[in-house]
Amino acid sequence: MSCESDVAAVSLTDLRFYIHEVRLLAADGGETAVKLQPGPLWQSEDVALLDFESGAGSCQNGTQQVNTLVRGHAGAGNYTGLRFRVGVPEHLNHADPLLADAPLAYSFMHWHWRTGYKFLRAGVATADDGFWLHLGSSRCEGTATDVKGCRSANRPEIELPSFVPDKHVVVIDLRDLVDGIDLENGIPSDCSSGPAEVECEQPFSALGIDFDSGTRDGIASVFRVGTRE
Amino acid sequence: MTRPQILVGCAVAAIAVVSFTAFLFVDRSYDWALPDGVPLPSVPPDNPMSDAKVALGKRLFYDRRLSVNGAMSCANCHAQALAFTDGLPRSVGATGEMHPRGSMTLVNAAYSARLTWANHLLDTLEVQALTPVFGEQPIEMGMSGRESEMVALLSSDDYYSAAFPKAFPADRDAYSILNVVRATASFVRSIVSFDSPYDRYLRGDEDALQAGPIRGMELFFSERLECFHCHGGFNFTDSSTHADTLVQSVGFHNNGLYNIGGSGLYPPDNTGLYDLTGERRDMGRFKAPSLRNIAVTAPYMHDGSIVSLSGVIEHYERGGRLLPDGPYAGDGSRSPYRSEFVKGFDLTGQEKADLISFLESLTDESVLKDPRFADPFSH
Repeated sequence: MSCESDVAAVSLTDLRFYIHEVRLLAADGGETAVKLQPGPLWQSEDVALLDFESGAGSCQNGTQQVNTLVRGHAGAGNYTGLRFRVGVPEHLNHADPLLADAPLAYSFMHWHWRTGYKFLRAGVATADDGFWLHLGSSRCEGTATDVKGCRSANRPEIELPSFVPDKHVVVIDLRDLVDGIDLENGIPSDCSSGPAEVECEQPFSALGIDFDSGTRDGIASVFRVGTRE
Repeated sequence: MTRPQILVGCAVAAIAVVSFTAFLFVDRSYDWALPDGVPLPSVPPDNPMSDAKVALGKRLFYDRRLSVNGAMSCANCHAQALAFTDGLPRSVGATGEMHPRGSMTLVNAAYSARLTWANHLLDTLEVQALTPVFGEQPIEMGMSGRESEMVALLSSDDYYSAAFPKAFPADRDAYSILNVVRATASFVRSIVSFDSPYDRYLRGDEDALQAGPIRGMELFFSERLECFHCHGGFNFTDSSTHADTLVQSVGFHNNGLYNIGGSGLYPPDNTGLYDLTGERRDMGRFKAPSLRNIAVTAPYMHDGSIVSLSGVIEHYERGGRLLPDGPYAGDGSRSPYRSEFVKGFDLTGQEKADLISFLESLTDESVLKDPRFADPFSH
């Protein structure tokens, strides 16, 4: 699926998201943190931004640049699994985006009126219908100058138990995200993580989050392991 | 995922994380041109007022090039002659998308403890300014992802290439979105107004108000009508703050505008504070807007669903609105979430006329024309 595919009935309109707390799992179950390698556009020590949309075709108002790789290092080991968290860590989520460096400096990933980042933005379109998701923390308390936390954290924890770094890649499959959402009734729908949005229930479930509490509630079926080509 | 590997030592990207400062301070160096006795507005310590910043902010406020298609500036929704509102029930963005709510006056926004209609989080103009410029739900000015275009425009434009370094002399590179926001917020903060007939009357000019508005004022501040509980204080809203505020007051109220199906619900695109908190008790809670210049900011309520001041008074007289049919049918006076101060009253025709004349006396004609706040372009 891509922005420029003109054969598929469903095309991509957006797919950008942050990840952090990347960990490799050893065969004995031990966790090793992957140290993210800071880079100019996509990564700091704390968070990486992945961007699968090219700004072309059905991906209007996107960016030309894409980034499908997370760079980091961990000590040598026999790793057989991967964990990471989607989103921006809480300690960075409510800082002023105008004072932040990449990858936290982009207006398209910030939610000014919710005073935090859009952790993930994804969208698909059919000929006359579509769905988009903006995932981020909601039900935040305090004020923008002094956020006291958010009651729905909405940071999916992804666990891929059969991931071997030199054999596998992480595949994102958006089918589950929109499973059950009517993409052919001509009424575009969306979820922007608001507490009252019923359209959020399916995508949240596909990301392994309980919509009511914003905490982990099962497997994030949107992410799976694929074979490295 | 890359293969785990040892990387050569590289420069660590420092992430500048500076929170908005929670404490506001008094800026006494800037001339606010306020009458005696009026409190000074609070100003964020990292964005002190200056004439150069306000002048730059005014230019930015009126510059249509800061929208995705050059179709609109801030002033499209915030027109000076209408006390910086747009006269529409609900505002329309650069690309034609309709906002769920109407534009709010910017007059005395400097004194507003919370900004916009229903958001407990938004407490500074610097934060709020980002939403109309970059917001996507709905698109207002539509500049999301176009920061570099904005900065390129600013640094190549004759006016801006002089004005930014002047407004931000300490900055090595003055052309930034941060400084756009700081200058625009400074301009908006400078739009202060306390010269309505009501203000002049309070200052001792007994001829400023006739008998009708004076009777209306007494009604407004009476326990019989209860208006002042939410629309009280020097700025006619209980969400007011100023430089000497000790305890900040913030209020959101359900005024019985909707009660869909008798269960207290509001239209799904306008649920008030509930939209952010998800707490049922926040259903339909909106900020009580300032009533200054209210006569020129029709239509009324967050969705512009009441066209005249007369209609607004009838709404409160009834203690909530009855919508007999349609998708939003329900009797707002029976909403379980209705404010305890919206309980209805009876007015004679004369009393209603007096109350309206009092509300009209809150219009400061000078702020609607003051060249300090006027469009510097020849649009």
